[in-house]
Amino acid sequence: MKTKEKELAIVVKDVYKDFKLFYDKANTLKEKLLFWNRNDNDVLHILKGINLEIEKGKMVALIGTNGSGKSTLLKLMTKIIYPNKGEITVNGKLASLLELGAGFHPDFSGRENIYFNASIFGMTKKEIDKRVDDIIEFAELEQFIDNPIRTYSSGMYMRLAFSVAINVDADILLIDEILAVGDQHFQEKCHAKMKELKKEGKTLVFVSHSMPTVNEFCDEAVWLQDGKIRMIGKTKEVTDKYLEACR
Amino acid sequence: MKLFKDLYQYRELLKTNVQKEIRGKYKGAWLGILWSFLNPLLMLMVYSLVFPYIMRVQIPNYTMFLMTALMPWNFFTQTVANSSFAVISAGNILKKVYFPREILPISIVLSNVVNFLITFIIIIVFLLFSGVGISWTILLFPLVLIVQTLLMFGIAFILSAITVYARDVEHIVNVVVMALFYGTPIVYTLDMLPAKFQTILYLNPMTSIIDAYRDVLFYQRIPNLTHLGLVATVSVVIMIFGLWLFRKLQKNFVEEL
Repeated sequence: MKTKEKELAIVVKDVYKDFKLFYDKANTLKEKLLFWNRNDNDVLHILKGINLEIEKGKMVALIGTNGSGKSTLLKLMTKIIYPNKGEITVNGKLASLLELGAGFHPDFSGRENIYFNASIFGMTKKEIDKRVDDIIEFAELEQFIDNPIRTYSSGMYMRLAFSVAINVDADILLIDEILAVGDQHFQEKCHAKMKELKKEGKTLVFVSHSMPTVNEFCDEAVWLQDGKIRMIGKTKEVTDKYLEACR
Repeated sequence: MKLFKDLYQYRELLKTNVQKEIRGKYKGAWLGILWSFLNPLLMLMVYSLVFPYIMRVQIPNYTMFLMTALMPWNFFTQTVANSSFAVISAGNILKKVYFPREILPISIVLSNVVNFLITFIIIIVFLLFSGVGISWTILLFPLVLIVQTLLMFGIAFILSAITVYARDVEHIVNVVVMALFYGTPIVYTLDMLPAKFQTILYLNPMTSIIDAYRDVLFYQRIPNLTHLGLVATVSVVIMIFGLWLFRKLQKNFVEEL
């Protein structure tokens, strides 16, 4: 029993998450005192009792329509937000690529921003020093790396952000619909990198609407619908059912 | 304990954050970081004209008497003012990535400690040139600094967390800090007050801290260690409470911002 526990990267246990819908948010003390009894927020139940176990070394896709709770589930896993009920356990160092370029500062050079961005992911100076050349090479920005990033094109910006994120030394990676970055050439490179990460035994959870990509990479797929798990299983089976339902 | 492990792992982030705090504040100002020190010095100039000449406070060497209290007070007010914004101003990043949220108030306090240490060098220069000089009691300065820093951590945790939920805290804090300036023996000495008020003033932890700084630097005698020990205990309690509160409130930061 104990060995089985160890092989799990993420355990989601009966998780519920509600969001309050604010129409006019009382932000000041005065408003809070005046309108303390005004219950003007509707509660939106985003996740309703999710149970999920993700094994180490697996690539798992979260699929589902918009608003089904995929991103919320990822955010809960990274601890950006916390569940109202239930528990999430993560074994291993986790990095999430929910949004690219967090902490990028336009006035600083690409190289400095690599350091800012990577430090937010919990890397130390030494670790970044070791990887900075890989990051620059992967982003193919050797010529521009010492220019301020406000001079970058949007493609260059995304490439830099993505290479930092993917070079963070984590055991578990959460990726939210950001693989569609850059041109064909860069996308292929990203896909190759993902296969490499998989070989290294990393766990990947990723949200995608591109079924071909999901089919190509993932061992398992989880189909979310209206905050509940509709189906878990082999990727192909789940995506086929999902596509059928979408028609 | 987990906090120390987290902080160790995220030490690079903590370091860059502290640097950004120190340098970023005066971006675009010609004199840049110099303002961190010019500001309190100019304030010192104003006060050392107002109190002896207009208010007729009779204390020998008033400028140095004032400086040894005003600079630590400045450390207090700066930290308090900055920490209300610590979490709010990082709102965008909080929504995107996870990192130990405690880093935000901690880097505010640490950057202000660094600023204060530089100011401390200026104080020493002033002490030497004004003829007050320095004595071995200056070795007790780090002890007082540690006590104040503990207190600042506690206050920073509390303020940075509750400001997210009620933005008014910032304005309330402004008034309280202004009142406390006169409720702490900075521009006067405690024995100028009736005994009754002296006791009340000791309820303010900054009173004992400011007293201790002044003893160590200006009067060059051993500070009242009972008072200092008491304030140290209170500061640790405030810090633990602050950390507990911060942890409790941080779970909803992203949704409240």
